[in-house]
Amino acid sequence: MDKNNDHGLLGLTKQRAILVSPDDSLKELLMSIWPEDVIRFEFYTKAKGAIEEIFNNPPDLLIVDNRVTDITAAEMARLVKSENVYRQLPVVICFDESDLAKPWDWNEIEVDDFLIRPFFMPVVRDRINLTLCRALRALDANPLSKLPGNTSIIQRIQSLIDRKQDFALAYCDLDYFKSFNDKYGFSRGDEVLNMTARIIVNTVKSFAGEQSFVGHVGGDDYVVITSPDIVEEACKGIIFSFDGIVPNFYDIEDRKRKSIVSVDRQGVTQTFPLMAISIAVVFNIGGKIKHFGEVSAIAMGLKKKAKENPKSNYVLDRRTP
Amino acid sequence: MSDQDLKTSVKGQILSISDLPTLPSVLDEVTKLVDDPNSSTEQVAKVISKDQVLSAKVLKMVNSPIYGFPGRITTIQHALVLLGLNVIKGIIISTSVFDMIQKAMSGLWEHSLGCALASGAIAKAAGFEDPEEFTVAGLLHDLGKVVTAVQLPELNEAVIMTVKDKDLCYYDAEKVVLGFGHDRINAWLARHWNLPPNVREAMTFHHHPDRAQFYQQTAAVVHVGDFIVRLFEYGNGGDDQISYFKPAAMKILKLKMKDLEPVMDELSDQFVEISGLTF
Repeated sequence: MDKNNDHGLLGLTKQRAILVSPDDSLKELLMSIWPEDVIRFEFYTKAKGAIEEIFNNPPDLLIVDNRVTDITAAEMARLVKSENVYRQLPVVICFDESDLAKPWDWNEIEVDDFLIRPFFMPVVRDRINLTLCRALRALDANPLSKLPGNTSIIQRIQSLIDRKQDFALAYCDLDYFKSFNDKYGFSRGDEVLNMTARIIVNTVKSFAGEQSFVGHVGGDDYVVITSPDIVEEACKGIIFSFDGIVPNFYDIEDRKRKSIVSVDRQGVTQTFPLMAISIAVVFNIGGKIKHFGEVSAIAMGLKKKAKENPKSNYVLDRRTP
Repeated sequence: MSDQDLKTSVKGQILSISDLPTLPSVLDEVTKLVDDPNSSTEQVAKVISKDQVLSAKVLKMVNSPIYGFPGRITTIQHALVLLGLNVIKGIIISTSVFDMIQKAMSGLWEHSLGCALASGAIAKAAGFEDPEEFTVAGLLHDLGKVVTAVQLPELNEAVIMTVKDKDLCYYDAEKVVLGFGHDRINAWLARHWNLPPNVREAMTFHHHPDRAQFYQQTAAVVHVGDFIVRLFEYGNGGDDQISYFKPAAMKILKLKMKDLEPVMDELSDQFVEISGLTF
């Protein structure tokens, strides 16, 4: 049943939400906005039963009405937000105007948003949509580069596959990053990871009119999803900039020597070249790929090939299905 | 006011600068390029590399802690790759232009650009890699003078009067009026803005390259570049005198005077070429 196409959450499905409220009209309003396969609501009139359910089976969203009588809405928000396991769960609080006679201390009551009576449908709809989207973004951003992480990467790949849209996925990772990190420490390692993220994002963005996506898998691994037409040019651009900039991140002696020397635990002196970037490119053309898992499996195979070369390089997957 | 008080208050005022204006013609040229979707990073970098104020702004931003690698990026080309054109657009929108002091500043603009070119050529003659890094250092060597002119117009006026009245060079006049020179102001700015150490030392020690701690070569290149561009009488750094030439600089660079002859020939061609850019 498609009773409503105007709910605004086209990218999201199967969210589970809990409403705690004695107000039946609020319940009906929420049910009228989103179809069940987008947001499925569970309703509680009192906090008591709801709390157990929230702890055992946390939903994607919690809406608490300040009219709940057995415990206060503020107390309920505090229960959820004080445990790191549940902290990420977005909480929206519902008010009567009189509840806002005095300012609330939002540092104390860490909710994510509020709604106010009389409820105006478009505002309720978009506030909740925004809260859900914001929670997903915040949860999935890489804390270092602020780029989207694995959840968003997988979503992006699968939605392109589902829409049967051609794309190229470039999997980028650094050679000799570990030896750099070991010698100079993780904070200088992080500098290199930030630099790499900037290069990849800006190189991909410089192709006017192309819809591209850059994600940070974690550590020194990044993913670019873009059109098959420009991916090779993008690889060249990334490599050119990376090779030009990375020497700045070494101490002056190592930069001159073009290598770092370190002694391993056995006391053996080892020499490592300057870092390089390897890129493995997978194409999905004509719908040959059905599942995002295939993409990463092919990319991992190609990555080994790209890594055989100690210099920055890219490898294109040119096999046919 | 004692020297120490003046230094503290001047330093505070210098570092509080929120906007350095640039010359209208330069800004126009960059704006046009940035608005054109077909222009490349290289093209934009080339134009920005001609202007000490825009270059300083770009390097300041890319080396700020926000981007996560302070003090690492030395060239404009690399800065643009890392910042992206959106941020460059932002910098350009927020940059104002020189009006009142345009005439005085355009002489300094040419002097800085000349010193940038000379520094690049000298670095090449000395056999150093990445001459672009030396070019940037040469471009920024008198930035302190621009900042003083904008932030402390009365003191700047007093320096200019002292140059005329006492027939001093600009650097000595600064010391008479302020108690310190633009090299000290450069040092404050470069540290405050997290500029890379080689650029910072060249800005700080271009009058005394032998005092630089780690990058004597960069400071020496800029010292010689500053001298040569004055010899050509290209632009104006604020005084008519040839700056004092330190033989130590040539020693640091392992160059002989005759090694500079091809550099001078190359530069005279370049100065003729870019004189079309002047105002």
